[in-house]
Amino acid sequence: MTSSQVVKTLIVDDDVSTRRIYRMMLFRFGFEITEVGDGKSAVDQFLTGNEYDLVLMDKDMPIMDGVEATRTLRGMGIPAKIIAITTDANSRGAFFDAGADEFLLKPVNFTALADILKAFNFLN
Amino acid sequence: MASAPFKAQLTDLLNSMFAMDFLDEQFKELQMLEEASGPGFLTEVVTLFCGDAERIISQLDALLNEPAVDFGKVDANVHQLKGSSSSVGAKRVALVCIKFRNVCQENDKEGCIAALHEIRHEFDELRKKFQTMLQLEQQIQDLDSK
Repeated sequence: MTSSQVVKTLIVDDDVSTRRIYRMMLFRFGFEITEVGDGKSAVDQFLTGNEYDLVLMDKDMPIMDGVEATRTLRGMGIPAKIIAITTDANSRGAFFDAGADEFLLKPVNFTALADILKAFNFLN
Repeated sequence: MASAPFKAQLTDLLNSMFAMDFLDEQFKELQMLEEASGPGFLTEVVTLFCGDAERIISQLDALLNEPAVDFGKVDANVHQLKGSSSSVGAKRVALVCIKFRNVCQENDKEGCIAALHEIRHEFDELRKKFQTMLQLEQQIQDLDSK
């Protein structure tokens, strides 16, 4: 975890309504949320010195997709937990090869997300 | 309570939307999130979705009116609409998006145009129902806060 007790989360998805849903799901747990709309912006967040404990990563986004963003972050040595969230079931292997920790299909079920967060020890 | 008739109307509306597959279980997830967090969340998400969907549908219309259709861009837009409609539980819109992607992947322009008409129809029907839902919710909120 980052030095703060709060789980710092980066939501990466080009759809605003989807990002709002994830924000509301995590709001219940008191997570601190930042949103970006593409993979490059996600990478830039870390390049500019921001630290996150958790990344929710969409796959199909403009400029840089989620698989490439995941690979880039791992190449930078970023230790944050990365949960890939996409409608593309066939991208599971590519995401895990790139370094994702978990994979969820959209639409995200709140209970499934909470179970993963518990497994990551982000929830009491 | 003055809001009781409006609550009954809202319940009937939502029940019919679920029964007719306008909405699926994902929308119930969003309803549960709103119950936990307070009013306003669903309004925000539905409004964002409708704005985004309208923008994507307009973009698809423009792309399909090009002399040489870029099926890659069409597919990317439909994929985005499928994702956002799935996230809010807009089942019928999401299902038509799947059909659209199938004809798009065959580079079938006429098929794509037909699918776009169908998406437009389904989205317009859904949007009308969402607008009624939001109006009823606002009336209920206004009456309950008095």
